[in-house]
Amino acid sequence: MKLKIDPIKCIQCCACEMACGYRWDRALSPVTSSMMVYRTREKKNYFGLILKQDENLLLARPEGIEIQRIGVVEEGVEADASAKPIMLREACDLCDGLETLLCVSYCPTGALQIGE
Amino acid sequence: MGNLINENILIIDLSKNETSEEYLEEEFIKEHIGGAATNIALYHQYEDDDPIIIGTGILTGTLAPGGSLAVITAKSPRTGEICHAPVNLCIGAELKYSGYDYVVIKGVAEKPVYLWIHDAIADINDAEHLWEKNAWETTDTLRNDLGEALIQNLTIGEMGEKESDLAQVISNYWSSGDRWGFGALFGKKKLKSIAIRGMGLFDMEDEKGFLNLCLELLNESKNSQMAGKQGIIDIGNELDADLKEWLDPVLHRNSACFNMPYPGNTFLKNGEDPKILKETDVEEPGVLVTDIFEILGFKELGLTSKDTVQVLMECLKTGIDPVAAAQICINKEMKSVNEIIASLGNFKGPVNTTGKTAFSPCCPEKSVFNKFDNENDTQDWWVRRQKIAYVFGIHQTYSIMSPFLSEEKLLELVNIGTGLDISQEDVETVIAKL
Ligand code: SF4
Ligand code: SF4
Repeated sequence: MKLKIDPIKCIQCCACEMACGYRWDRALSPVTSSMMVYRTREKKNYFGLILKQDENLLLARPEGIEIQRIGVVEEGVEADASAKPIMLREACDLCDGLETLLCVSYCPTGALQIGE
Repeated sequence: MGNLINENILIIDLSKNETSEEYLEEEFIKEHIGGAATNIALYHQYEDDDPIIIGTGILTGTLAPGGSLAVITAKSPRTGEICHAPVNLCIGAELKYSGYDYVVIKGVAEKPVYLWIHDAIADINDAEHLWEKNAWETTDTLRNDLGEALIQNLTIGEMGEKESDLAQVISNYWSSGDRWGFGALFGKKKLKSIAIRGMGLFDMEDEKGFLNLCLELLNESKNSQMAGKQGIIDIGNELDADLKEWLDPVLHRNSACFNMPYPGNTFLKNGEDPKILKETDVEEPGVLVTDIFEILGFKELGLTSKDTVQVLMECLKTGIDPVAAAQICINKEMKSVNEIIASLGNFKGPVNTTGKTAFSPCCPEKSVFNKFDNENDTQDWWVRRQKIAYVFGIHQTYSIMSPFLSEEKLLELVNIGTGLDISQEDVETVIAKL
């Protein structure tokens, strides 16, 4: 099972962050999620998602999906400052032990889907 | 901290340059529930100090669909009545996660200040360096100085500093639901901004029950007539305002306020090709329209959508209510963009854009996308729907799209989330007082 992200369908509602926060804390919290809505370029209306995986950061932005290896800045790819808080968080474990992927369930638009 | 509630009221005394906290008693919560109803109670408690109250609902910041709303309550400089302005984006959620359910701002500061509310701490900071900055520069400066790009900021521009009745409280960079001139109250109090960042956590009494009901309501939303609709264009269609062709040259991307399943905000770009979605170097390419009525007046005036974006950007920076500004342009038959922009800072009321109730007319006064059983008496239905949304913390416009978000379901969410036992009778008592 995989988490499939379509960044163009995202409306930056942050429901996935809250759902994933619950996955880790069994509480409502915006700061523990493995998924962050990338929304620091507010004046440009530029937004997408960052997913922390075991060894990678998956950036899902309007340009497309990009994978950055944690700790390695690829040539020409600058690690984004807004990604920093996510470095300290748990990596996505695809909701191990739960019946469903919580972020997918609470996403209103289908920007997050379960893939094979 | 209780379930879904901080149980904490922040009191800011600007005259004494002091902050304090009050415990939110369970009895008080049961008596007023939350949001606008609690704001009113706090307003009366501090009435002699001409207070501004900012409050959240019990469902604000939660996974309840549409749970984005915070409410500013104060005496309107435009109507002389106590009125409520909705603020959305992530402002309500950040306030709640900052550790406070309500903020009471009383008195007048000696010199310009801003509030920095975060981690259950509130600082009253010097704002001399922000005074005379426009609203956009102020948000940029605070985010830079405080080192946190996700800070949410209620702020004023030149119009608020001048205490103009037309001054609007700006949400980050964009229009709020303040049609009441609350920006003038900020100016009178020498309060330039309220910067907010929340990192807290809320437990739920019955977490599974609460989250399952949230999901059930979300799925009803996804399967309703709202499905596939987006932004202000589809809202416009419901109001017989055909915006598609007019907006096409500037139409960028739709987005949502916190946990709002409907993307009701639409970004318009005139500074670069609006079809470009990737990041470019243009720092200020356009405006986010959070209230459809912001643009309808300028369209009626006969402006192109590109010119509307330019004028709107200046309105938001200056901190003037764009709906009032458009009405003044219509009244004066002022159609030159340069003339409008040069005159904005001198615009004066009175101008009749405040509606007939204490609830902001930024929310369309009819149901949108989905019909309600009891909407025949439209004004009564609309006012009741607004009261419910403003008490529980639901986005005011989502509330008129969502018959499935019934009063019974909202009350059920509150009770299973908090463990309180609030009855429909309690709701009726609260609604009657609003
Ligand atoms: S799949 Fe589960 S763990 Fe991974 S981001 Fe989504 S909610 Fe979090
Ligand atoms: S829940 Fe879906 S639409 Fe909302 S921010 Fe997450 S991915 Fe985007």
